[in-house]
Amino acid sequence: MLLQLSLSGLTQGALYALIALSLTVLFRATTIVNFGHGDFVLGGAFGVYVLVMLLGLPFVPSAILATVVMFGFGIVISRGLIDPIKAGPHIGFAMMSISLGYVFRGTTRALWGREVFPMPRVFDIEPIFVGHLVITGDTMIITGVVTMLLAACAFVFYQTSIGKLTQAIYQSERGAMLIGINVRRFHDVMWGFALALGAIGGILIAPISLLHPDLGAGFLIRGFAAMTLGGFGSLGGAVVGGVILGLAEQYSGAYLNSALIDITSYLVIIIVLVVRPNGLFGKQVIVRV
Amino acid sequence: MSGDTASGSPAPVQRSRWISTFYLLPVLAAFIPLFANEYIQFMANRMLVYILVTVGFNLVVGNLGQLAFANTAFFGIGAYSTAIMMSHVGLPYWVALIIAAIAGGLAGLLASITALRGIRLYYLAIITLAFGELMRWVYLHADKVTMGSDGLPLPPLDLFGLPITTEVGKFYIFLAITVVVVKATSNLLRSRIGRAIMAIRDNELTTASLGISTAHHIVLAFVWSGVVVGIAGAMFAALVGRVFPESFGLIEVIVHFAMVMVGGTGSLIGSVIGGVTLTALPEYFRQFPGMEELFFGIIIICILLFLPKGIASILAKLSAVFRERYYLD
Amino acid sequence: MDPLLELKNVSVHFAGLKALTDVSFAARGGEVKAVIGPNGAGKTTLFNVISGYVPPTAGEIYLENKPIHGLAPHHISARGVRRTFQNGGLFGEMTVLENVLTGLHVQISSGFFGLMLGTRAARNAEREATEKARRLLDMMDMGEFADQQVKSLSGGQQRIVEIVRTVATEPPLMLLDEPAVGLSPPMRERMMEIIRRLAGEQGVAILLIEHAIDLVMAGADVIIVLNAGQKIAEGSPEQVREDREVLEAYLGHA
Repeated sequence: MLLQLSLSGLTQGALYALIALSLTVLFRATTIVNFGHGDFVLGGAFGVYVLVMLLGLPFVPSAILATVVMFGFGIVISRGLIDPIKAGPHIGFAMMSISLGYVFRGTTRALWGREVFPMPRVFDIEPIFVGHLVITGDTMIITGVVTMLLAACAFVFYQTSIGKLTQAIYQSERGAMLIGINVRRFHDVMWGFALALGAIGGILIAPISLLHPDLGAGFLIRGFAAMTLGGFGSLGGAVVGGVILGLAEQYSGAYLNSALIDITSYLVIIIVLVVRPNGLFGKQVIVRV
Repeated sequence: MSGDTASGSPAPVQRSRWISTFYLLPVLAAFIPLFANEYIQFMANRMLVYILVTVGFNLVVGNLGQLAFANTAFFGIGAYSTAIMMSHVGLPYWVALIIAAIAGGLAGLLASITALRGIRLYYLAIITLAFGELMRWVYLHADKVTMGSDGLPLPPLDLFGLPITTEVGKFYIFLAITVVVVKATSNLLRSRIGRAIMAIRDNELTTASLGISTAHHIVLAFVWSGVVVGIAGAMFAALVGRVFPESFGLIEVIVHFAMVMVGGTGSLIGSVIGGVTLTALPEYFRQFPGMEELFFGIIIICILLFLPKGIASILAKLSAVFRERYYLD
Repeated sequence: MDPLLELKNVSVHFAGLKALTDVSFAARGGEVKAVIGPNGAGKTTLFNVISGYVPPTAGEIYLENKPIHGLAPHHISARGVRRTFQNGGLFGEMTVLENVLTGLHVQISSGFFGLMLGTRAARNAEREATEKARRLLDMMDMGEFADQQVKSLSGGQQRIVEIVRTVATEPPLMLLDEPAVGLSPPMRERMMEIIRRLAGEQGVAILLIEHAIDLVMAGADVIIVLNAGQKIAEGSPEQVREDREVLEAYLGHA
C-alpha cells in the first residue's frame, strides 16, 4: 500500500515538479512570479482537449501545437504586458501577474461554461506489475517525459551558455545590455519557454483528470509550495520540492484525512516560512529591517 | 495664500475651500433618496459599502504598499459577525456593528503577523489569499452557526426601536457611518501615523533610522484596515439581508483590487471614486460565468499600463484641490 | 566647553589593510570640521567607525563623554549621531514638508485615538510640528517647495531636503558624506552655506567628508587631513594650506 501510494505520489510529484520548474525558470530569468501560471498550465490542457476532441487531430501533433501556441503567448505577454511597466516598482509586476491570472481564469471559465470535460485515454499501454505494485501507463509516460525535460533543462542551464546568460542578466541587467546582450529578447524567450514547459505539464495532466477552470489555482498553489519547499530560485529545489509535495499529499490524504489533500500546499508554505524560510536549497526570502 | 508663487508651482489651497468642497458631497448625497427609485437606492447603498471596502483595502495596498489580500477575509468576518450576533445572540444592529469592527480589527492583527515577520510580495499575497479562502471554508463548514451554503439571514433591523425596513432608511445610516469612518481615516492619514505608514512604503530602512517603529505602524495599518472593512461587512450584511460564503471568494478579491487601482493607490479620494464607479458592474457581470474575473482583470491591466496612479492622478493634475492625494477634508 | 565627540587613538585594521592608524581628534557643537585626503586615505572608514558600522581595532570613541565604540549603528544613531548617505533615502511619494515631518515624528506627542478623533490636543501637536517644519524649510530657502512631491525635485534639492529632515531630528552631531558631490556650482555653494548655518545657528557639530577643496577651504572651521589612514594635519584652512606634509601628500606639489 505504501509503495503504491508512493508511486502515485511520485507521479503527481513529477507533475508538480514540472510546474514548479517552469515557474522557477521564469523567476530566475525575470524575478517575476507568474500568478497566472496555473491557468496557463490549464491552458495547455484545454488547448490539447480542443484540438483532439473538437478538431479531431491526433494527440502528439495537438500536444506540439498547443505547446507552440503557449510559447507564443509567453512572448506576447512579455512584450505587451511586462516590458511596458518595467520602469515602475516591482509590486507592479506582481499586480500585473495576479490580474493576468484572473483574466485567464475568467476566459477559461467563460469558454468552458459550467461543464467538466473528460478526455478519453490517449495511450493504451499495458500496466506493468511488479509484485503488488501496479505501474500504469500514465505513470510511465509522465515520469518519463518529466525526467527527460528535467535532464534537458539541467543540460541547458548548467552546461550551455544560456545558463551563464541567465546568471549574467540576473546579476546585472544593465551590465548585460552594455555588453550587447539583448535582454528584452531574452525575457521574451524565457517567458515563452516557461509557458511552454507549463503547457506540457497541462498536456500530461489532461488525459488523466477531469478538467475544469478552477484547477489552475490548484496548480499555482502547488507550484508555489514546491518552490517554497525547495527554495525559491533553485531549479533543483523546485524539482525536489515538487516530488516531496506530491508524496506528502498522498500520504496525508491516505493516513490522516482526505480533506487535507487540498490544503497540504498551504500548510507546507506556512510551515516552511516559519521553520526555514529559505527552503531546502534557496536564497533569501525575508526582508529584515 | 492662493495662486501661483514665483517659482510657478501652485500654492496649497486654503482650508476653507477644502471644507466647503468635501463636506458638500455627503450633504448633496443626502438628497439622493428624493430622486431615486428602489433599485437606484439599493445601488447607492452598495456604493457606500464599497467606498469603505476600498478605503480599507487601499490603506494596506496603497498607503502601506503591501500586496496583502486579506480584504475579503475582513469583509466576510465583519458580515458574518454581524449576522451571527443578530441572529443567534439577538443583539441590536448598532452593537453588532461595533463587534464587527472589533472582529475585523482582530483579523487585521492576525494578518499583520506575516508582514511583521518580513514576508513580502508574492508570499504575502498567497498567504493572505489563503487566509480569505480558509475563512470561506469556515463559513461553509461551520454550518451550525453560519448555515453554510444556505446563507445566514439577518433579523429585521431597527435603530433603537425604530424599524428600518426601506433602502432609504438604510441609506441614511450607511451615509452617517461612511462619513464618520472616512473622516477618521482622513485624520489618521494626515497625521504622523499616516506619514509613518507611507514612509515604510517608500523606504523601510530609513524609516527605522528616524526612530519610527515600523512594527507598530505595520500592525496599525492592518488593524485599522480590518476595522474599516469589518464595518463595511456589517453594512453589507444589512444591505443584502442574507450572508453567503461565495460572496467572499477569490472573485471578490479582484473586484476590491480593481476598485483600489482604478481610484488610485494611496489616495483616499481615489478610494471613494473607485468604490463608487465600479460598484454597479459586478451585479451585471455575475450572470455570465467568468466575466467578472475577465473584466476586472483587464481593467487592472489597463490601469497598470496606461494610468498607474488611477483616476485620482487625473484629478490631481486638473486641480490643486485634489493634489493633496489622500485627503478628503 | 567639553567636546561632543572625541576620538582617542582610533585604529581600524582589516586583514592586512591598515585603514586607520592612531587617529585622534574632537568635534564640538557649532563647528564645521572637514575631513579631506586622497582616495583611500580612510575617510569613509572614519565615518563608519564613528557611526558604528565598523568596530575600532584599537582606541576609543566618546560621545558626550560616554563611550560609543563597539556599539551597533542604531544605538549610536539613537544617541544623536546622524549620518547622511549619498543615496538619501527620502520618501519619494511624499511631499517635501511630509518628509521633514517624518523627522519630527518622535517629537509629536499625540496618540492613535487623539489623532483619529481629531481632538484639539492632537490637532495642535500636528500644527506645531507643521509650523516647525516650515520654519526649518524656510531657513534653508526651501519653503516654496514644501508641498511638492520630493521625487519632482532635482538631485541637489533632494539632498538639501534630506539634510533638513535630518536636522529636524535635532541631532547634536551630523556626519555628512560628500554632500556636494554631483551638484551644480551654485548648488554646491548653497550646500556649504546651509552647512555653515546649521553649525552657526543650530549649534550642530558637523563632520564632513569632501573632495572639493575650494568649498572646504572657504566653509570649514577646522580641516583634518588624512593620508594612508593617518592624520597628518589638523587646523584652520590657512594653516593646512601652508602645511608642507599636506601639500606633498595631497596637492601634489611642495
